[in-house]
Amino acid sequence: MAAEAQIPALGFLTVVEDAEHGLFGGYLVLNLIGRPLEFHCTTPLKANRAQQILYGPTLAPYLYGEQIAQTLIRKGAVKPRTVFTDQTAVLAARQHVDVPLVLAVDDAASQPAGDATRRIDPPQTALKRFGWGRQPLAVDVASATDEQLVLDRLSDVAQDFDLLEPFGRIREAIAEASRN
Amino acid sequence: MNLWDPRTDYVDPAAGAAPADAWATAPDALPRPEVTPPQVTSYGAAELAVACDIYPLGMQAALQRAPRFKVRTAVLNAAAPKVVSIPIGRTSLKVRSFLFPALTEALLAKQRGQHLPPPPAKPQPKPAPHGEETCERRDARRVRMRPPRDIVKLEDRLMYLLEPPVESWLARESLSFPFQPFPYQLEGIAFLYPRTMAVLADEMGLGKTMQAITSIRLLLHSREVTSVLLVCPKPLVTNWKREFALWAPEVPIVIIEGDQAKRRFQWLLPAPVKIANYELLQRDQELLLDRDRHFDLVVLDESQRIKNRGSTTSQIVRSISRRRSWALTGTPVENSAEDLIGIFEFVSPGYLGNHMSPRQLGDAASEHVLRRTKDKVLTDMPPRLFRDVEIDLSPEQRESYRLAEEEGVLRLTEMGDSATIQHVFELVLRLKQIANFDPATGESAKLDRLRADLEEVAASGRKAIVFSQWVWTLQRLARELQAFNPLEYHGKIPPKKRDAIIEEFRHNPKRHVMLISYGAGGVGLNLQFSQYVFLFDRWWNPAIEDQAINRAHRIGAAGAVTVSRFLACGTIEQRIDNILREKRELFDTIFSGAEPGRKLGLTQEEVFGLFQLKCPTGPIKFVA
Repeated sequence: MAAEAQIPALGFLTVVEDAEHGLFGGYLVLNLIGRPLEFHCTTPLKANRAQQILYGPTLAPYLYGEQIAQTLIRKGAVKPRTVFTDQTAVLAARQHVDVPLVLAVDDAASQPAGDATRRIDPPQTALKRFGWGRQPLAVDVASATDEQLVLDRLSDVAQDFDLLEPFGRIREAIAEASRN
Repeated sequence: MNLWDPRTDYVDPAAGAAPADAWATAPDALPRPEVTPPQVTSYGAAELAVACDIYPLGMQAALQRAPRFKVRTAVLNAAAPKVVSIPIGRTSLKVRSFLFPALTEALLAKQRGQHLPPPPAKPQPKPAPHGEETCERRDARRVRMRPPRDIVKLEDRLMYLLEPPVESWLARESLSFPFQPFPYQLEGIAFLYPRTMAVLADEMGLGKTMQAITSIRLLLHSREVTSVLLVCPKPLVTNWKREFALWAPEVPIVIIEGDQAKRRFQWLLPAPVKIANYELLQRDQELLLDRDRHFDLVVLDESQRIKNRGSTTSQIVRSISRRRSWALTGTPVENSAEDLIGIFEFVSPGYLGNHMSPRQLGDAASEHVLRRTKDKVLTDMPPRLFRDVEIDLSPEQRESYRLAEEEGVLRLTEMGDSATIQHVFELVLRLKQIANFDPATGESAKLDRLRADLEEVAASGRKAIVFSQWVWTLQRLARELQAFNPLEYHGKIPPKKRDAIIEEFRHNPKRHVMLISYGAGGVGLNLQFSQYVFLFDRWWNPAIEDQAINRAHRIGAAGAVTVSRFLACGTIEQRIDNILREKRELFDTIFSGAEPGRKLGLTQEEVFGLFQLKCPTGPIKFVA
């Protein structure tokens, strides 16, 4: 694990699925005015046949959370106050990292056709839902105590900080990196 | 009798079948038992009970012999099943990591013990006075930065790509704004910020100054630059100073001015932004080009000033040591494509060349040039209403004009091959002056028309600006238009008095008219409170006319701006007007990608053709 610096920061992590290459993970750490401090992305990851059969419905949490999210968060130079994700399966990494992992729920977004980022349906994860300002959030019930921790850590963050917007940046950055 | 035939009920698996003589060779002494086939549960040799019938065939002796069995051992091939293990294991996952300057800066601040508080909540700036754009509307389409193509290093590309949307960045930084920027202005900032080579060529009045200042402000805040030099025409220095105070009040600026000793001191000051005028660069060349002097960014305002690559000004600005080069101009092409090439010699030397067609120029420049027009970005901007006012000269003025033209043409004809373009120009200027005022009688059909129009302007409480290329014409108009309490703004007005004149015109309701020369007032003035523009005479160049018009028709204009272009019928002005139209087509060609409709530039033949004169020598490139 990289040495982690204590700088006020928020982490954003998402996974993009590419039909040809597999899963790309992206992890962006922002300061509290939204400027990038660091970015990490994985090489593509593809589940093999055995994993697909044997993990069954737990494949997505395994790949998204245990494999990708855990690896990315551990690469960070800065330890963010909280890591946000827009994919439920990523929450599985919580048991492997010591930073709260929160689902930023995009209630308004309907599943767009061809959106490759959510094509692996995670199993029904039991979520504890709560809100920060007008932004609905959720944590895995196994980490329900994170709710108060997260709210405390967001107390001095501007309430209009858009917690969903950075995921668009990550997707663009992954596309740019994969072109290189 | 039932016979149990061991050949059928017992089969030695090794032999495959019982021997054919097994029972036939049984001992004869044995009685023939009446038997049913036993229920044999085991075929072990010791427990084998064999039943057989004996027939009196005369072979008892043989039957009494004990049967002989051949026993063969069969080994069952039943090895233990093999186990195949399928490894699931973790797949090797490589991670590419990128650390950005903001992190380094934060770590350094932390080391220095500086606390970085989160930005305080601040009230939303009020919308621009004329704009109806709301925050909600703009949130729907965020403006993101895009790395330019010339940035090839992935880390640098990602740095810009991962920056927040411009509007949220501006909102989060403690940056105050007097007005909400328009979306196209945010796009302009997103265009400038990541570029080392950029030409912002928005039409006049769209706020190039604000876009440049805000981009500089963000670059300073993110520490991407620490030293900026802004060069502008001398009359605009105070305008830039004012705009910096408005849009970036926290940024310290130094105006380079005063005597040489003072300027030497000013050049050495560690201010992040220095503002100098073009005229001064030549005098301070030695200081400016000092080997130790370097700027992170040099911005040229009204960069058409360096369109002539051979000019001293162009050579000096190109020699300034710098990392980023931005040019601001509303008229990247005033006369010909060479103007754009000249500007690019500063922005990106050698990138454009004379060998390129207009379309090639447009394609190559497109990555570095951002050009927007009001029609496209300010759909709610009040319209410009053009009036081509064709004026018939009075008989006396017409006669003066006719005599002057005939005399001038005759003289040019007599000069033959010795006639130069300069001689033709002198005649053109002479005729234009006569079209303004008859030198013999002092009559002016244009003045009569202007006076009539101004009465209407004054009666409605509005304001008008009148442009001419000659100071003496403006002074004459000032005398003739005293009823309208006119103000003058031209080269003979000391620069120190000019700001006060603008303020007087802005605030005094009795001041209805301002008389401005194209040279002094064509750029940088914000006169959006004027509803009428009169072009008393025409400039050679449509871009200069546009600049003049846009003093009034710019952001903040409260209503439609009426532009009256005076044109004396049957004079050189009409012929020049045709040339202006063609130049406008040239501009459109370069910035729309269309093929040119005519040969570029104004040839010597065409200039001489104004008077149906034969051109004495070969073509020249441009005459105005």
